[in-house]
Amino acid sequence: MGTEQTGQADALLREIKRQATGRLTVFLGAAPGVGKTYAMLARARELHRQGVDVVIGIVETHGRSETQTMLEGLPLLPRKKVEYQGRQLEEMDLDGLLARKPAIALVDELAHRNVPGSRHERRWQDVEELLSAGIDVYTTINIQHLESLNDVVHQITGIRVSETVPDAVFERLRDIRLVDLPARELIERLNQGKVYLPEQAAQALQAFFSPSNLTALRELAMQTVAEHVDADLREERAARGLEGISIQRHVLIAIDGRGHSEYLVRAGAMIARRRGAPWSVVTVETGRWADAALHTDEMNRATPALNKMARDEQQRLMEIDKAFALARNLGGETEVMHNTDVAQALLDAAAARDARSIVIGRTRERPIARLLNRTLTQQLLQRGARYELTIIGTPQARQRRPRLPDITGERPTWRELVLILLASLGAVGVAALAERTLGLQDLSMIFLVAVMLVASRTRMASAVMTAILCFLAYNFFFIEPRYTFLISAHRGVATVVLFLAAALIAGRLASRLRMQVVALRAANTHATAMQNLGRRLAKAADLGQVIAAGASVLQSTLHAEAWIRINEESGPVTSAGHLGEKDLAAADWTQRHGQASGRYTDTLTGSAWWFLPVSSDKDTLGVVGLRFPPNMGHLSFEQRRLAENMVEDIGQAALRTRLVSELELARVTGETERLRSALLSSVSHDLRSPLSSMIGAADSLARYGKDMGPEDRQSLLETIHVEGERLDRYIQNLLDMTRLGQQGLTLTRDWIGIDELVGSASRRLQRYEPNVRIEHEIPPDLPPIHVHPALIEQALFNVMENAAKFSPSGEPVRVQVQRTEDNRLQIDISDRGPGIPEQERRRIFDMFYSVERGDRGKQGTGLGLTIVQGIVGAHMGSVEALPGLEGKGTTIRLTLPWGGYSNQEAKEHDERST
Amino acid sequence: MMRGPHRSNPGASTARILIIDDEPQIRKFIDISLRSQGYATLLAGTGQEGLTLLATKGADLVVLDLGLPDKEGKDVLEELRQWSRVPVIVLTVRSGEDEKVALLDAGANDYVTKPFGVEELMARIRAFLRTMESGADEGPIFDDGVLRIDLVQRQVAVQGQIITLSRKEFALLSLLVRQPGRLVTQTQILREMWGPTHEEDAHYLRVLVAKLRHKLGDSASAPRYILTEPGVGLRFIARERQTA
Repeated sequence: MGTEQTGQADALLREIKRQATGRLTVFLGAAPGVGKTYAMLARARELHRQGVDVVIGIVETHGRSETQTMLEGLPLLPRKKVEYQGRQLEEMDLDGLLARKPAIALVDELAHRNVPGSRHERRWQDVEELLSAGIDVYTTINIQHLESLNDVVHQITGIRVSETVPDAVFERLRDIRLVDLPARELIERLNQGKVYLPEQAAQALQAFFSPSNLTALRELAMQTVAEHVDADLREERAARGLEGISIQRHVLIAIDGRGHSEYLVRAGAMIARRRGAPWSVVTVETGRWADAALHTDEMNRATPALNKMARDEQQRLMEIDKAFALARNLGGETEVMHNTDVAQALLDAAAARDARSIVIGRTRERPIARLLNRTLTQQLLQRGARYELTIIGTPQARQRRPRLPDITGERPTWRELVLILLASLGAVGVAALAERTLGLQDLSMIFLVAVMLVASRTRMASAVMTAILCFLAYNFFFIEPRYTFLISAHRGVATVVLFLAAALIAGRLASRLRMQVVALRAANTHATAMQNLGRRLAKAADLGQVIAAGASVLQSTLHAEAWIRINEESGPVTSAGHLGEKDLAAADWTQRHGQASGRYTDTLTGSAWWFLPVSSDKDTLGVVGLRFPPNMGHLSFEQRRLAENMVEDIGQAALRTRLVSELELARVTGETERLRSALLSSVSHDLRSPLSSMIGAADSLARYGKDMGPEDRQSLLETIHVEGERLDRYIQNLLDMTRLGQQGLTLTRDWIGIDELVGSASRRLQRYEPNVRIEHEIPPDLPPIHVHPALIEQALFNVMENAAKFSPSGEPVRVQVQRTEDNRLQIDISDRGPGIPEQERRRIFDMFYSVERGDRGKQGTGLGLTIVQGIVGAHMGSVEALPGLEGKGTTIRLTLPWGGYSNQEAKEHDERST
Repeated sequence: MMRGPHRSNPGASTARILIIDDEPQIRKFIDISLRSQGYATLLAGTGQEGLTLLATKGADLVVLDLGLPDKEGKDVLEELRQWSRVPVIVLTVRSGEDEKVALLDAGANDYVTKPFGVEELMARIRAFLRTMESGADEGPIFDDGVLRIDLVQRQVAVQGQIITLSRKEFALLSLLVRQPGRLVTQTQILREMWGPTHEEDAHYLRVLVAKLRHKLGDSASAPRYILTEPGVGLRFIARERQTA
């Protein structure tokens, strides 16, 4: 059920993607000369007549007049002249075509190889770019150029076609049209000279055009068209959910790089495609051969046998690389696994992918292994009973696995020779000492120990050599007759056999151990590198640090120069200096298309850098450039994979920092927004409340005044007056706030008694709140303070108004003034209201705190206490909220220094200002 | 506290109106105005006080301010709605229509945005008290001299000319006319006319109202009969009968 829905969703997504980008129409022929170009032009003319914007990107007429006439009247894009090795060549003007952006572009010969130096190596890549730009493309291709049919065609015709087109191009296929011509007619046309053949290839192609070949190719072409139509139908039906598509189970293809890997990939892919199943290609590195490959850089010192092995290994790796590249082209996944047990690794991979089938190649005959049930096939059959095992026979016998060089393989190194000699001599020495106490048979044990020692330290070859040496020494020194190599028959033979057997067993054990270590080390290198990168990236707080950390780890791990550019930020500077115009163009291309370019790729190969896209789910974040030493012509799969994985991690880290900064920005914006809306709602609320009363009262008077008694009329008039004053107060508060908010607040200080200020504020408050009782407690002998009188009075008023607001009716507001021990003025204003919970006491001074509580705190802008804080703060004083007297209500405590100046300064200040 | 009408108004029975507002000045002018028009008033400064008064003394209509010191007006409204169906007119300083819709959903019958003219509030109060006085409905026939709507005969005439309305148009018109002066929310209309599944489909209504207005000779920019409260709902303005 779930799978079905996923399948449907996938199909729909593919369908949508297909519709968003350009679509491909392919005119498919079985052989050159069947009239594909002619058919394409005929269709184009028809469309052109209907007013569709058709442009010819490139069409090869090969001088045929019939085709030439078809061109007339169709818009033709001029070709681009390309100079290559002194010759003027013509190519399709890709950029011109992209700029022209027609509805449909005609691009002949999809399999064409572009002149070196063009943007892409192959024309099908040009076509992909056109499709990506939303341009529909009409193109032609012969059946033998299809990647997946390459082997089949080779088998039929005996000709290997090198210019192949990956089947993945067909993913954007809208329509496939078979241009068909019976073999007989085609041969007739050929004989009439109507088929263009390049002169140098004419001879070879003559053989190609045999009736049997043509018939087979024709069959193949028809089959392909039928398959694609089939797939099309399946996908569309799946997209509409018409059909419960078969549960697609993965097909796992195992390759080992020892011949015909690509053949296996093609065959496996074909099986998967027929089933409509996803598939992947895996290889298992046992480490047995990596050991040899590790020695390649020590080529000079290595022995010829090792040399050969290293070369074989290199070749094997290259074959795997090629097979993997092919697999990706055909639309499969690839993975390298590290395990000494191939069968187990394959079963693990199959289980991880929920695969149903495992495809392997037929391995060479190994009669002994088969007897012991040790061949891969047998192991898979035994342990993987759940899986369907497909064994593909290959056209030729596959390469024999080279045997590990052992007895005859190679000469030991100096180190090994020394060890062998020392072990043997030591054994002789110990045996000579022990001879008096031990019997002859026991002496042989000493030599056996020596053999084991060498075997455990080195390879089997050395162990065998030690065995022979020890045998000879034993024979020479200890067996009668002594100091000769003569032995009495039965004893001597037994000793030889025993020594050799011990050496072989120990040697085999030792070498397997070493293999495992090497395999582990290879897997470990990757894991360690990734871990190291992860650690470094985790510390990076911003994009710049991500780039710096990423570049430095890339450089140290891959031994290549690295350059990273993400979001227009790039680094490190040292590498950036080496980037030429060509390199930057490649980097930009990678950024735009989200595909690798430059060295080791097919695109913009002129650059010495290999550019990898840094992708997120949605888009390409940036580019990572890697420049390997110039003599490194080939990039191993391991390196490629490591680089790709590391770039992926760098992308994730970059994304993370971007998210963090976006989040931070959103938070700040949100905060500002919150304040802004609080201010707006506060202003609108507090201005509207008195306004509502005034308007309402005035309106009532105007409309119903005649129906009212004189008292009511008087009362309404008072309302208008009182509310008008309240409005004025709010506006004053807002103005104060603005003044305090700006830096330009200047205090005009004066000497004034605190009792005067408290009195003034009290009087003002009582005007608005006649019912409020205010109790003062001011010591009589307080000296005057040096402050800005109007501002401090405003502060006192705000606090007292606040207290009055929360006082239950009848309860007084208490104002207590006193001198603190550190000679400051302390004013406590207390109410007996509901009080403020401790955790909120700090917040009441926040701007608009009361507003956030909704309409409830309606009687103040919420600015009141903030203004108090601003005013008192400007006087170097402090404000705090405390629990009220006797634990009831709230006390707001203002503490003020006696004056900003000493008395002397104050007087001078006064004198100056007067 | 309860206060009687300022002067006896022989026409209207003394309906009792509860005013819950913590602003004394607003309370005062509403009180004075209502009494001058012959209504009795009850005054409360907090939500709790208001609820207690309503429970003990009872009222025919409640004017509720949203910003109260002790509890959110919306909470008062919800509490009140648990045991009373008295019409509630809400006073609010918030002008966002989302707020208004939320209030109406919470059980308010209408709203007035501060600052407001006293006549505006009075018209709303009258619209509610009138329907209560005359029983459930205004009667089967609405006639202001220009527009005549016969709800029983399903006949609508403008200036004496009978006009044809579609079924939906008539349904909408009658829905509005049955509650003249009162706000009918969009959700209410949609639910009643198209069923609960179409509560979100405001565009149906927009098209229908436009057609209806056109047929009644009304205009959206200067409405005579159907008033749009943007984002909230529609209101039918019942005008005094014009003597032709």
